[in-house]
Amino acid sequence: MADILLEARGLRKTFGGLVAVDDVSLTIERGTMHSIIGPNGAGKTTLFNLLTGRYRPTSGKVFYKGNDITSLPVHRRAHLGIGRSFQITNIFANLSVLENARLAAQALGKDNFRILRRADSFDAYTARAYEVLELTGLRDAASLPANVLPHGGKRKLELAMILASSPDLLLLDEPTAGMASEQVPDLITIIDRIRDLGKKTIVMVEHNMSVVMNISTRITVMHQGRVLAEGDPAQITANKTVQSVYLGELYDLPKGEDA
Amino acid sequence: MAIPQASFISRLLRDKWFIFLLIALVAFPFVVGLLTDSSPFGVARGDRMIMRGESVRWQAVLIEVYILAILAMSYNLLFGFTGVISFGHALFFGTAGYVLGLMLEYTPLDTTLAFGLGAVAAIAVCALLGLVIGLVTLRLKGVYFTIFTLAVAEMFFIFLGRWQLTRAEDGFAITDLPMWIDPSQNRISVYYIALAAAFLTFFFIRRLVNSPTGAVLKAIRENEDRAQSMGYNTINYKLLSIVVAGMLAGVAGLLQVVLNKKVGPEILGIAYTVDPLLMTIIGGIGTFIGPVIGASGLHLLDVFLRDATVRIGGLVIDIASIWALLLGVIFILVVIVFPLGIIGTWQRWRMKRPKRE
Repeated sequence: MADILLEARGLRKTFGGLVAVDDVSLTIERGTMHSIIGPNGAGKTTLFNLLTGRYRPTSGKVFYKGNDITSLPVHRRAHLGIGRSFQITNIFANLSVLENARLAAQALGKDNFRILRRADSFDAYTARAYEVLELTGLRDAASLPANVLPHGGKRKLELAMILASSPDLLLLDEPTAGMASEQVPDLITIIDRIRDLGKKTIVMVEHNMSVVMNISTRITVMHQGRVLAEGDPAQITANKTVQSVYLGELYDLPKGEDA
Repeated sequence: MAIPQASFISRLLRDKWFIFLLIALVAFPFVVGLLTDSSPFGVARGDRMIMRGESVRWQAVLIEVYILAILAMSYNLLFGFTGVISFGHALFFGTAGYVLGLMLEYTPLDTTLAFGLGAVAAIAVCALLGLVIGLVTLRLKGVYFTIFTLAVAEMFFIFLGRWQLTRAEDGFAITDLPMWIDPSQNRISVYYIALAAAFLTFFFIRRLVNSPTGAVLKAIRENEDRAQSMGYNTINYKLLSIVVAGMLAGVAGLLQVVLNKKVGPEILGIAYTVDPLLMTIIGGIGTFIGPVIGASGLHLLDVFLRDATVRIGGLVIDIASIWALLLGVIFILVVIVFPLGIIGTWQRWRMKRPKRE
C-alpha cells in the first residue's frame, strides 16, 4: 500500500443552505505534487480551508500521518508539519522581508517566550531565514519592507515563509494568482526545487492549466463541490467529462478571467 | 549577524541621547532650584515641610508627565505593537489606584506595610483583570473587543462612583502615606521614583518588543491569520500583551494616587483611556519614544496654556476656557502633517531620504 500522508474522508461543508464541499474523499501520497483544479465555485478553496483547519467540516474527517486532525486548530496543525500559503498575498507588510521569514523559522522553535533576549540574536532562525530567502531568490531584498516587493516577489516570499518551518506537507492556494505570465516559470522552478530538495509533498490549488499539467504528478478535478475525476495529467487531459465540464468551459472564456 | 550578546549596560551606554536625558532629568529639581533660588526639598516649617517654590512646583508637573508617559507607553504596547485597540485602559489605571487607596485607608496595617502590600496587590489585580478580560474577549475581533473593553471600564467607573464604601463620587483622601513617598513632605523622592518607573517601563517595553515574543506581537498586528497558520497560538501572545500593558498602566495609577493623595472615580474615567490614545497617535504609534513625546508635549502644553490669556486687540481670551477646542485643533493638525505621528513620520522621512556620504 502506498504511503499516505494526508487523507480526507467524506468531507462536507455547508454555509447556510449552500453546500460548498459535498462528500469529498481524497488521499495524498507522500512525495506527490497533487493539484486540485476545477471551475470557480467548485469548492477548491473551501476544501483547502478544511484541510488546513481554518474551517471545521460539517461532517467527515481529516487524517494526517494516520492521526485524526479534524478538530485541531490551525496553529497545532502547523506544529505537525503542515504549512500553507494563501490565495491572497498574506505577508507581514510592514516588517522586513528577513523578519517575515525569520518569524516563520522561529514559529516552531522553543524560544517564543524568551522575552529577555533580542529576537535577532537567535542565529539559527536568522540563518534559516537567509537560507529560504536564498532558495526563493529574495536574499538581496532581505532588508526591504515586505510591502515594497513587487507582486511576484511577495508570492515568492509566501513560499519562503512556508519553507522556513520545514513542513512535510505544503498546501499552496493558487501560488501564481495575479502573477504576470512571464514571472510564472520562475515560480514553477522554485516549486520544483522545493519538492526535489526535501522530498516534500505538495498539494496545490491552481487555475493556470500549463502550470498544473507541467508539474503535477496527480490531479483531482472538482465540480460543484464534488470530486469529478482523479488521475495523472495524461489521464485528466484525456477524460471526456473533464474536457466538457472544465477544460472546455475554461478555454471558451476570454483570457485572464481566472483572477 | 553573529554579534555576541551585548550586556544590558553596554547596550544602554550606546544610547547617548538617553544618558543625557536621564542626567538632565535627574538634575532637573536642583537646576530649577538654582535658577529660581528655591529649594528642591521645599521649605521647612518646624518639623514639617511646606511644598513651596518653583522647584517643587515643577517637580509635580514632571511627575505628571512621567505618569502619563508610562500610561501612554503601556497603551502603545497593546495598540501600537500588538494591534489590539482597547477603550478600557483607564480600568487598569483606576483600579490600581483604588486597591492602593483601600489598603492604605481601610486596613489597620502599619503605613509602610500597607503601602507595599497595596502596591503589590494593585498590580496583581491589574494582571488578573487583564487575564480575565483577555480570556473572555480576545477571541473577538477588532471592534467587538474594543466595545467590550469600553463597557467593562465604564461598568467599574459607574460602580465605584456609587459605592458607599469608597465614598461614591467624592472619593476619599489618602491621609496615611509613608513619609518617604508623601508628595507634600518629600516630593523629590516621589519625583525620582516616578522618573525611575518611567525609564524602567521604557526599557522593559523595548526589550519585550525586540524579543522573539515581541516579534510575534508585531506579526499579530500585521496579520493574525498568517501568524496562526505559521504555528503561533496568537491568543496567548495577545493575553501576554494585555496583561503586561494592564500591569504597567497600574503602575501609572499607583503613582497618580500617591501624587494627588486622593482616590476618586475620575481615575477610572474615559479621559485616562482617551489621553494615552491621543498621546500615542500624536507621538507615533508603534514607536518606542513616540508615546513619551506625545505625553510630554500634550501635558506641558496643557500646563503652560492652562492659566494663559491671549489679548487680541481689545479681546481677552482665557485659554483654559477653550483648551479642549485647542487640543482638537492641535490633534487635527498633527494627524494631517504627521500621519504616522511625530516620531513615526520623522522615521519614515529619514528612511526615504537618500543617504549621502
